[in-house]
Amino acid sequence: MARDRTQGDDYTAPLKRLLLGVLIFLLLAVFLLWRIDSPRVERFRAQVVDNVMPSFDWAMTPVTATVALFRDFQSYQRLAEQNRELRRELQQMKAWKEAALQLEQENARLLDLNNVRLDPRLTYITGVVLADSGSPFRQSVLLNIGSRDGLVDGWAAMDGIGLVGRVSGTGANTSRVILLTDSSSRIPVIVQPSGQRGLVIGDNSPAPHIDFLENPEQVRPGDRVISSGDGGVFPPGLLVGQVASDPGGRLRVRLAADYERLEYLRVLRHHGREGIKTPGTIIAPPTAPQTSDTDANGGPSDG
Amino acid sequence: MADTGTRPHKWPMRLAYVALCFLFLALALLPFQTVPRGWAGPDWIIVLTLAWAARRPDYVPAHLVAFVVLFADFLLMRPPGLVAALAVIARQILRRRAISLRDAPFPQEWLTVATLLVAMTLAERLAYAVFLIDQPPLGLVVMRLFAGIAAYPVVVVASQLLLGLRKPQPGDDDTVARVA
Repeated sequence: MARDRTQGDDYTAPLKRLLLGVLIFLLLAVFLLWRIDSPRVERFRAQVVDNVMPSFDWAMTPVTATVALFRDFQSYQRLAEQNRELRRELQQMKAWKEAALQLEQENARLLDLNNVRLDPRLTYITGVVLADSGSPFRQSVLLNIGSRDGLVDGWAAMDGIGLVGRVSGTGANTSRVILLTDSSSRIPVIVQPSGQRGLVIGDNSPAPHIDFLENPEQVRPGDRVISSGDGGVFPPGLLVGQVASDPGGRLRVRLAADYERLEYLRVLRHHGREGIKTPGTIIAPPTAPQTSDTDANGGPSDG
Repeated sequence: MADTGTRPHKWPMRLAYVALCFLFLALALLPFQTVPRGWAGPDWIIVLTLAWAARRPDYVPAHLVAFVVLFADFLLMRPPGLVAALAVIARQILRRRAISLRDAPFPQEWLTVATLLVAMTLAERLAYAVFLIDQPPLGLVVMRLFAGIAAYPVVVVASQLLLGLRKPQPGDDDTVARVA
């Protein structure tokens, strides 16, 4: 019996070895293809994720909820301490609120004076975080909204307060948001009040560092960092965080968004800015009546 | 047929392998922590694959390993195919040594697997360097490697106790030819 099968193995062994070689070759071919034509394979990856993750969801939700509950219990243990902290913060906040109210009134007055209309097209879609990247090497989250909801690669994702990351990879029902902390994330920013432009560069640490500033001396810890919209991908003016300097003296950004609990993210619809494509043309008075035969249809609509 | 008595174990165990790998994947993907963490646990799927390949290669056939690890590559945002190919090669190396490993004491088996894990990590980093892909942070990679080596006995003991996975015994008729 056993000898019988060994003989069989002898016959099939070269065939098996060949199949194995083909298998390894195929896997390496996938890797090479990914290296050569990354967008196509990444689209395929987005489709795979899109088909798989929603079906994982039913299993994941209870586990996530249980762990969150457990963590809540842990925080109940520190209730008294937290309460004291909150009271102190509340005192500070009252002062801030007073200042904010005054500023709000002043702001409203100034807006009224300027007749400013904020961009009406800057609306958002809210999505729920389905999953994280699953490895310590990448920082991204998966949202339950995708191209079906009109999402486009490159749009900005925020929590209620600050910028969280940008959409990179959309399937029909899911989309991936690369967080600012990912080592491949680069966001053009402007540091206020000095107006220095730079890049926020993720490096797999909780506070990404800020680089390519024209004049780093003018930037101080505590300055506000907001997105600048350079490059036309991001809407300008989104809050990123505050400048802080690490022990090594490098400037970093303490992010405004609460990365501890990313549950709901807003994805801002952004349709790009209108660029000025042509040099200015001469503003002439409306054309003379004798040529009205040729541009009769253009004339009235101008006025 | 004599082998119908031992065969039925094979498919349930293969299914168990796939199910365990999916479980590890799902656990890794749960959005527990979105702050970058400074530590890396073992790659459980790879450790499980190597442990089973060292003990019962017939439970983890090469095509199954390729499918599972490629799937994990896609979901975990790794370069697809690279780790899968390395895992298949490692599985094959272990399978080829199955007979010597069967009689070997556990430390030797552990050493073999640890060597393979180191070789896989080096090969991965080499491939990253050759194809000009951003290298993952060295500290995390080293941490993952040592965590994987440390996790190996845990996986072996757990699969022995919970799933009854043990090395082929001299009495098993079926395994004699299968392992050879």
